[in-house]
Amino acid sequence: MILSNTQKSFAAKSNSYFILLIFLIIPLTTNYCQLTTDNNFFSPYNRLKFGNYLYKDKDYLRAAKEFKEYLKVYSNDTVQFKFSNSFFKIGRFTEAADNFKGLFFSSTLSEEARLMFFESNFFQNDFNKFRNLADQDVYLSLKYRKEIERLKFTTYFFDIATLPAENIILEPFPDSVQSQIAKFYIQKKIPLHKNPTTAAILSTLLPGAGKIYTGEVGDGITALVTTALSAYLAYTNFNAGHQFRGWLFAGMTAFFYGGNIYGSAASAQIYNARIRFDFDKEVKFYFEQRNYFLPQIDL
Amino acid sequence: MKTRLTAIFFCFLLFNIVNGQENLQTQLNYANGFFNSKQYYDAVTEYKRLLFFDSTKIYQYGANFKIGESYKAGAKFDDAIKYFSFAELNARNDDEIFETKTEIIRTNILRRTTERALQLCDDLEKDERFNAKVDTINYWRGWAFMLSDNWKSAARSFARINPNHELKLLAERTDKAKVSVTFAKVISYILPGAGAIYSGNFLSGLMSLGWNTLAGYWTINSFIEKRAFDGIVVGELLWLRFYRGAIQNAENFAIEKNLEISNKSLRFLQNEYKGTKL
Repeated sequence: MILSNTQKSFAAKSNSYFILLIFLIIPLTTNYCQLTTDNNFFSPYNRLKFGNYLYKDKDYLRAAKEFKEYLKVYSNDTVQFKFSNSFFKIGRFTEAADNFKGLFFSSTLSEEARLMFFESNFFQNDFNKFRNLADQDVYLSLKYRKEIERLKFTTYFFDIATLPAENIILEPFPDSVQSQIAKFYIQKKIPLHKNPTTAAILSTLLPGAGKIYTGEVGDGITALVTTALSAYLAYTNFNAGHQFRGWLFAGMTAFFYGGNIYGSAASAQIYNARIRFDFDKEVKFYFEQRNYFLPQIDL
Repeated sequence: MKTRLTAIFFCFLLFNIVNGQENLQTQLNYANGFFNSKQYYDAVTEYKRLLFFDSTKIYQYGANFKIGESYKAGAKFDDAIKYFSFAELNARNDDEIFETKTEIIRTNILRRTTERALQLCDDLEKDERFNAKVDTINYWRGWAFMLSDNWKSAARSFARINPNHELKLLAERTDKAKVSVTFAKVISYILPGAGAIYSGNFLSGLMSLGWNTLAGYWTINSFIEKRAFDGIVVGELLWLRFYRGAIQNAENFAIEKNLEISNKSLRFLQNEYKGTKL
């Protein structure tokens, strides 16, 4: 087909206009839209991107702020979970628990949120409240029922609540650790405490004996020798006619003797506190090393 | 027509680039606003945002440096050093490298990792690029010594800058005002209580001397009266206890006095010194 010059010119003009139109539309659809999304660093999309970066960088407090701003505009379960988890990671467990609660219903992360809700409550160290929560079915997770139950029984090792029967506590724990948990149970149930009154009576009868009873053998022998020596010095000084020195050493003897009785009772209390402290430390270390038998959940 | 279209295309391309740059510049100004008003937490957030969106990498040095400064101002020294190191990696010239390195040294001094600060000063001094900046290196080396309570070495470092440098004179004064802990102990061995008196604790020194005299008298008196066992026990339980106590006291008083002198100089540096501080 042969085109006339007018037609050729028209076709060329049409092509040119078309290309021009494309150049005009492209910026409108990319550049200007990006101005409101990509180039605006504070758009919800960019806040989410930046929040995710901060979250990966473990800068959780800043990440939480970015997620919060995003969630003001859009609803997103994953972001809500990360937002709650940011509080969990920085030890703000109350806020973490409150925010995990928001994912309990009609969410794909409902089960994980429930577990994290219980974890957040566990680390608040109000174990009585934790046990009450664990007994309420409305909060329980079907998928993580066993984990939550384990946490519930773990709480008994950390406070002064009356221990349930041994078999009940042991049941949710794996077979491989049951002997260790049973050992903790016995230690918690029958702690090897020393009686302060017994220690005081022993030291009244024989200076230092109370200390030896509480395991302070060196202190006990020193107390016995010091008291005996000062008593002997008081005796010899009185005999030699040195009244002042005699009374001085007699006073010292009374001070050592009385001090040792008091010290033995205190030593028994310190011994008991040490037993409790060592037990708490050992239990905490044991469970921490095993992440409280909980799965690692992070998105 | 082709030329026109090409021109239009490049115009739009340029617009995009300029527009992106403007946004980054606005973000930088926004972060600087927080930094200048000492809102360091928000400043760090906004500088991090700038870094995150800065695909051109032109703000890498400045923003990382400012983050380092913000963390330093908030006493988060480990983080500060981390970001100063990032800034150093992105430095564009020797001046910027020197600036970040001195900031790392200053942060180490504040963090009380003096050995590291001194090592970095030595490294910087050996670097031929910074031959003209020896005074600055000596200045911060002097500060490192001052904050580690080594006033004599501090005076030597400042003297290399200027024999009459204000901080050299201060360091010398502080060093001279300090008492010798060893001397205080030695004279207490010879005369119990003398070390405490030397450290300025007259009452305690005299009481120590009194107790030692009394306990010594009782010990010797027991031996004279041929009650040797009494003498040994009194000597061991009382005299030796007071004698040892006098030596320990002399040491503690001397350390305390030196601490007081150092703290006075450090307070001067903090509140009255007008030169560049940490």
